[in-house]
Amino acid sequence: MLSTLYRQRALVRAFAMRDISTRYRTSALGWGWSLVQPLANLLVYTAVFTLVFRITPPPLGSDPDKASFAAFLFTGMVTFNLFSGLVVGSMTQLRSNGELLRKVHFPAWAPVIGASLVQFIQVILELIVLIALFLVLMNVSWTWILAIPILIAMALFAQGIGLVLSIMNAKFGDVQYMVTVALGALYFLTPILYPISEIEKNASWLKNIVLTNPLSWFVLPMHDVMYSLKAPEWWVIPGLLLLGASVFAIGFKIFERTSEDIGEIL
Amino acid sequence: MTNNNAIEVHNVSKKFNRSADRRTSLKERLVRGRSKKTNEFWAVKDVSFNVPKGSVYGLVGHNGSGKSTILKLISGIYRPTEGTITSEGRLAALIELGAGFHPDMTGRENIALNGSILGLTKKEINAATDEIIDFSGIRDFINDPVKHYSSGMYVRLGFSVAVHMNPEILLVDEVLAVGDEEFQRKCFDHLSKLRKAGKTIVVVSHGLGSLEGLCDEVTWLGHGVVEQTGPTTEVIAAYLQKVNSEESARSRQITATRNPEEVVDGELRIKSVTIIDPVTKEPLSHAETGTTMAIQVDLTTSAPIIGPNVRVAFQHDSGPLVAMISNHQHGIDFGTINGDHEVIATLENTPLLPGRYRIHIDVFDHTGTQTLDNWNEVLEFPVRSVRGEIGQGFVDLPTTFTIT
Repeated sequence: MLSTLYRQRALVRAFAMRDISTRYRTSALGWGWSLVQPLANLLVYTAVFTLVFRITPPPLGSDPDKASFAAFLFTGMVTFNLFSGLVVGSMTQLRSNGELLRKVHFPAWAPVIGASLVQFIQVILELIVLIALFLVLMNVSWTWILAIPILIAMALFAQGIGLVLSIMNAKFGDVQYMVTVALGALYFLTPILYPISEIEKNASWLKNIVLTNPLSWFVLPMHDVMYSLKAPEWWVIPGLLLLGASVFAIGFKIFERTSEDIGEIL
Repeated sequence: MTNNNAIEVHNVSKKFNRSADRRTSLKERLVRGRSKKTNEFWAVKDVSFNVPKGSVYGLVGHNGSGKSTILKLISGIYRPTEGTITSEGRLAALIELGAGFHPDMTGRENIALNGSILGLTKKEINAATDEIIDFSGIRDFINDPVKHYSSGMYVRLGFSVAVHMNPEILLVDEVLAVGDEEFQRKCFDHLSKLRKAGKTIVVVSHGLGSLEGLCDEVTWLGHGVVEQTGPTTEVIAAYLQKVNSEESARSRQITATRNPEEVVDGELRIKSVTIIDPVTKEPLSHAETGTTMAIQVDLTTSAPIIGPNVRVAFQHDSGPLVAMISNHQHGIDFGTINGDHEVIATLENTPLLPGRYRIHIDVFDHTGTQTLDNWNEVLEFPVRSVRGEIGQGFVDLPTTFTIT
């Protein structure tokens, strides 16, 4: 699998370059637009959840007397956006490249993974904003480095799911709408807008649901290393990497097996 | 796989499910379950042929005969339902030129993308880019987005990219009918060059003239099965014969009977004109270049007429008068005629090239000074190709060439 991926790196890169160069080609703000939506969300949610619902964020790792809802929220958002960006981006790739897949024989996952590489640029831009935010808050520690393996695990996890969904969506056009709905629900079932302690007080059954959501498994340690500046238990990060790699490997295998007739399905 | 074959197609069949019955929405799939396999059809059934290395191989057949499906099977876009296909060497398919072009990207960017899709490394693409641009002849526009290209430019670029991928095997699907004449010639020249370099080329076409000049061997497909495989001229002749005979069975015979009101009040009148087979006397639906045809003119007289001259004029449907023939011109005297007669003018090995021709008939008296009857634009008939002649002009002059 890895050697297949490596052999086709030029093709994946070509698709990524295509998406990069055409994405914001006709807009003046260009890649700036990719930050507008998360920043707008950040602004709205921060306003609503600090002024209206009055959610208390956990204390910052650097100073237990200080807290920042915006920083807390954005840490979760970046992680969740990585997931939803890869899933949504992958999902429609086979359909949007249908013309090509019907006429030329090449590995169908190349445009899917190419699109995901482009998504990473988005994530990096968001991370830069997040880091800037923490620098302003002077909330800095070595634990930041641990965010890298967590995000890699998240990317693999998302890509595995995205590959399977892309095939399903090529076969049944309903899938992309169902996924959009599901992602909306998942967003609120992940501790992004609220710390997990907040629901513990009110509904412990809800807490159990939130904790079974795999996305929480990634978001919680991200809060630890970026916001609270503490390292998670030693087994958390290897466990996440193992989970991500397994989901990716399974997704890739399913994709390879079911995409053989993609030229006819589309 | 034997060593001298580039492609071996072995008992290949391909089944499709009719798209009308495809479960494309999840609801349908859930409600109605898996589709019952009743509405399937075989696009290709038990097809076998070998393409020798370094040869140019043709696939002919009517629309829907499965030739494009075979090409897609060879290129790997489809998998055979039954049978095996093996091929050796890098394969490039010109199934639709410029299929991978992104409208917002420039020509140059698209060359890189298309090159990667066709399996080239970055280095190979960089090395070929200049050559591709030169061949396409659109250097001035290469940094413009391809959405601003004319369809001709689009195709030129697509062709240039595909043929410069340095494939061992090139699959060409009726794409050579595009572009202007100059570019088409360039494409043919390039294909010949590739062939000389020992590449294998598979061409799908119903532009038979082009196949004949290019192919070594041809497979004729009809309704998904192989009708005939063999040397180009032989197979194409058989194919055309079939097509022509099907057409004559389908279309009406070419004959014209005069409206009585039109008949001039004279001693002789032309009643009807028919294109016939001179041997069987059966009416034809078309004539064929190189095959003897005849024009039968039925006329009647109300009084004896001495030595009439019947003249047949052929006009090409684009306007020009191609030829006029008459019995006097050939020194034939009909003698004195009276009553009903059939005049048959036989054209040995019809020298007319494929196209549509109109007939005008004039009958003069024996002095040639008085018109007894005339009928303009009697009928129009098609001349079809049997050996794949396309040629320029209207007639095939009997010619021999020598060199000393």
